[in-house]
Formats: sequence, C-alpha cells, structure tokens
Amino acid sequence: MKALFFPGCLIPIKYPQMEVAVRRTLPPLGIEIVDLEGFSCCPDPIFFQAADKVGWLTMAARNLCLAEEAGIDIFTICSGCTGTLSEANHILKHEPPMRDMVNRRLKRIGKEYRGEIEVRHIVTLIREKVGLERVRESVKRPLEGVRVALHYGCHLLKPSDIMRVDDPDEPQILHQLIEAIGAQPIVHDERFLCCGKACIDPDLPLEMTRTVLRSVKEADVDCMGLICPTCFSSFDTGQLLIARKTGEKMDVPPVYYFQLLGLAQGLTPAEVGLNRHRIKPLSLFEKIGQGVT
Amino acid sequence: MTAQEPRNRTPEPEKPAVGAAGATKTAEVMHIDLDARKRLLAVIGGNRVTYCYQCGACVGDCPSARFYEGFNPREIMLTVLLGGLDELLCPDSIIWKCSNCYNCYERCPQDVRPVEVIIALKNLIKEDGHQPQDVQSIYETILKTGRSAPVIAGLARTRERLGLPPLPPIDMAEIQAILKPDTAEEGRGPENELGKRS
Repeated sequence: MKALFFPGCLIPIKYPQMEVAVRRTLPPLGIEIVDLEGFSCCPDPIFFQAADKVGWLTMAARNLCLAEEAGIDIFTICSGCTGTLSEANHILKHEPPMRDMVNRRLKRIGKEYRGEIEVRHIVTLIREKVGLERVRESVKRPLEGVRVALHYGCHLLKPSDIMRVDDPDEPQILHQLIEAIGAQPIVHDERFLCCGKACIDPDLPLEMTRTVLRSVKEADVDCMGLICPTCFSSFDTGQLLIARKTGEKMDVPPVYYFQLLGLAQGLTPAEVGLNRHRIKPLSLFEKIGQGVT
Repeated sequence: MTAQEPRNRTPEPEKPAVGAAGATKTAEVMHIDLDARKRLLAVIGGNRVTYCYQCGACVGDCPSARFYEGFNPREIMLTVLLGGLDELLCPDSIIWKCSNCYNCYERCPQDVRPVEVIIALKNLIKEDGHQPQDVQSIYETILKTGRSAPVIAGLARTRERLGLPPLPPIDMAEIQAILKPDTAEEGRGPENELGKRS
C-alpha cells in the first residue's frame, strides 16, 4: 500500500537517524513510502499555535491540501505533527465557519481544503492498514529478553476524542508493537507523565523529565521505547543536562520504536542510526549480539 | 503576581480576588470585569471557559500543578471567569508553565478544554507583544523558513551520508501569503461563533 510521508521538522533536521529507521523498516511491512515536495512545518502545535492560532490552522490546512491533491492519506512520524494535522483536519471537517475562514486565506494561493484525506501516526497506520501479524512476519531476529520501558508521550493519544488512537488511560498500541518484535514491554510508574518539554521554565521541564527517568531506572530496563522526537529530546539532551546540573547520572537510553523494529528485522545498530545516539543501549546490543561503532 | 509566588488558593473576603485591573472583591460585592472577559471569549478556543463550574477535575492529573507550586488550571479558569485577564497576560504569566499535555482536556466533565483556553490566552499575549523569547524565535523561524527547527550547516551532508534524500524546498511565498490575516477581526468576534465546535 502507498502512504504519503509527512516528515515534519524535528526528525529530518535534528534526528535524521529516526527517518532512516522509518525508511528502512516500512518497506518490509508492505508499505510504499511516497515522498511529496512542498510540505512545510505541520506547524508546531505548542509555540506556533500559542502565537497564532488561525495561522497554525491555515498552515496545517495547506499541508492537508497538498495531500488531497496527491490523493493519498498522510502518515506522520512525530507526535507533534500528528497532533497538529489530526486536530486541524478534525476542526476543518466539522466546523464550517472555520473551514470557510481558512479557505478564504488558501484561495490566495489557489488552494481549497476539501476534507478528503486522513492523517495517521505511523503506529496507527501499521495497526489499521498493515496489521501486527505483518510486523511479526518481518522479524528476523526477535529481541528476546530485551526489556523496553514504554513511553507513549501525550500527543499521540490526547485529545482522545480527536486522535482516536487508543484509550489514553490504558493504551495498548505500543505494548503490542513491542511484543510483535519479541521484546518485553515494561510498564513503569510514571509512564503517563509528560516529558515537560513545552513548559517555559528553567527547572520545570527537567523536574518532569527526571521523574520519568527515575521511574524507568527503577524498572530495570534495557532502553525506553518512544515514538515522539520531542520526548526523545527531553530524555536524551534533558538527561545529559540533568547529569551536568545535578550530577545525577541515570544512563537510561531512549530509543525510537522504529530503530528497535529495524534491529528486529536484522539491521545493525549503525543501519538504524543508533551509533549517533549519545546514550547508547549497550545492554540491548549485548542481548542481541551486536556491537556498535 | 509573579511566577514564583503561589497565588491565594481561595479568594479572601477582604482581599481582591484577582489582580487590581481585573475584578475586585469586597465582603459584599464582587465586580466581574466583563469587558476583559469578552476579549478572551472572542478568541478561538477561549469561549468554552464559560462552561466551567470549578470542580477541579483538571487539577488532579495536571503535571504542572504537581511540579510547580502556584500553577492550578482551575484557578486560571476562575481568574478568567472573573475577568482578571491582566494577571494572566503579563510578560511572566503563569500560563507558560502549562505542559500542553491535554490531561485537563480529557478530564473536564464540562468540555471546557482548559488547555485550549490557555492557548487562547497565549494568543492574546502574542497580540500584546509580551510573548517569551522561546515562542518568538520558533514563530520567526517558521515565518522565515517554513520549518520549526533551524537547518544547521552540514545537515545536507549528514543526510546524504545516511542515505536520505535532501530536504525538499518549501514555497515561502505561499506560506507568507496565507499567514497574513484577512482583517484585524478575522477569527474573532462572538457573533460568528468561531471557536465553538459542532
């Protein structure tokens, strides 16, 4: 099946290794990635929306128009992009005054939002259009005995009436995906705590990040399994910042789910970009008999 | 109020309930600044605050309330209802401590969507020109490049080395054209009911 790739900003610019993992792991699942020129930032659901709500909605609508012109449903690889595009799609489909307002602006560039496509995060695309069986079939090297602490993050699941991905209080989708590659999903106490990235404060984001990391540490895992680059940045850069500021070293390696899928599909750590990580999942490499350069 | 000082949990009868420019409360009479409130109600996502009956369901699951003394979504909604916008629209407003996690949106039995009310307040802060540097710099980066993260030197080579295609260009004339408001009043005005969802 064809799926229209919406890369966003954070992954292609700051964490291109995640894009590598996505591009390598989807074809074995039977997904043909379609690239399209012209997409802008989704745009950013936190600070850009805080600055200009109407502009946020309109820029999102322009991206949706490009997908409508291509006639293919969008898949996203970042929770922020998923949030913005799903929410905008929902508002524009269900609120005619908003759609009219946005379309007045889009007319300036010869576009019109029509509400013809769906937006799905990559994990939802896999669950709905590919099936977990296909994921299991693609595995060549099950990650046996690998303990992965799940962190869903906020914007894949909430607001749940718009996202419609899973029950935000009892989500299953990542558990199932982790099990499908032979690893063990580990539930830790602070699994629902926000990473704190959006708070503007010198200490507050680090306080939230640290609370999650301590909880993960307590659960004695090989790595965290994430699907959001913003969460990743909190648990990667944030973790190093905490170590520098307070001396507390936790050594909890955050890993993007599709890097784990790649390892299970037989790719090397370097082939899924794990050599670029500052906090490497060394015990995971050991368990699957792989080193990293 | 500054971000560091927790505000009073419950308005005391002798003290003003909210900032001096907002509503004031004496033992007998509470004045609600309806004009200040109207300004927020006109912004997309702001008008649902009127459904708030102050149950506090938004507080229990709020990570910012848990980790930042003085941040309390119920109190922010109350301040808005009383028209005390001045204290929420000041440059170091407490609302920037919100984590945008949407737990309050999930928990609210009245569908107030407190996080959306807070986003509407943030839009007013931007309108007043008091936005924090973090917000301004992302806003400008997107306005200039169409992307939220600055493209660093060497990225093209890194992507090539990783076997990734180059970043495709973005038509910035299009982005700038659609970001220009139609009129100053676009997207506002309770008469067109923008912000209400069907």
